[in-house]
Amino acid sequence: MTTQSESAVTEPAAEGEAEATDTESRLSRLEEEGDIAADYLEGLLDIADFDGDIDMDVEGDRASVSIVGDGLANLVGKNGEVLEALQELTRLAVTRETGERTRLMLDIGGHRAARRAALIELGNEAVEQAKSTGQGVRLAPMSPFERKVVHDAVAAAGLRSESEGEEPNRCVIVYPA
Amino acid sequence: MLEEALEHLVKGIVEHPDEVTVRDRTLRRGRILEVRVHPDDLGKVIGRQGRTANALRTVIHALGGRAVRIDLVEAPGLR
Repeated sequence: MTTQSESAVTEPAAEGEAEATDTESRLSRLEEEGDIAADYLEGLLDIADFDGDIDMDVEGDRASVSIVGDGLANLVGKNGEVLEALQELTRLAVTRETGERTRLMLDIGGHRAARRAALIELGNEAVEQAKSTGQGVRLAPMSPFERKVVHDAVAAAGLRSESEGEEPNRCVIVYPA
Repeated sequence: MLEEALEHLVKGIVEHPDEVTVRDRTLRRGRILEVRVHPDDLGKVIGRQGRTANALRTVIHALGGRAVRIDLVEAPGLR
């Protein structure tokens, strides 16, 4: 530990190189997470006789795994509750193998993707409303994932937003410029 | 199929997958899937505030076991 930090101080030239390696190892770690998740989910799909294919990707700083195909509605559930449960179990399966916490995202039948698109639209509408009225706009309570999507959409539109209240009633407020 | 699915889901998240067994029992009160795990894994399959147990139930119910009860217990004699 001490040796490492000393060498980092005495050899600043090597830093860029170390960073590139870091990015590479981070990427391969996220890809490994995706592989483990895919194995776990494929096993379930086989047993339960679902026709789904598994897509893997790395989005920003997390692994992303999607089950795509038809007839997956039962695996999504009402308001995505089965999807959330499967994501939870899949993360545990990944952690069992890697020994590290994971923020892996699971999508099934495009549920999250569709929800994300709807939330972005909602965020944009709130932006327009805040601009035209000059007043803050309070949105309905949302999950942390949903709020993040809205915050990102608002930021992209150049306004500011914050979350207020306690879970599960925490909601986004969009402020006029 | 349900017990096989449950066994797969549990085996993938515990430290001792070889010690996992699922028994399908039909009692007067209905069907029960009884999951036995290594004592060290019981906390893991239950999870904080029962989160993992609930996730397992949610998935099994979605796969068609709407009325199935799931019991998580320690396998005896493994300590």
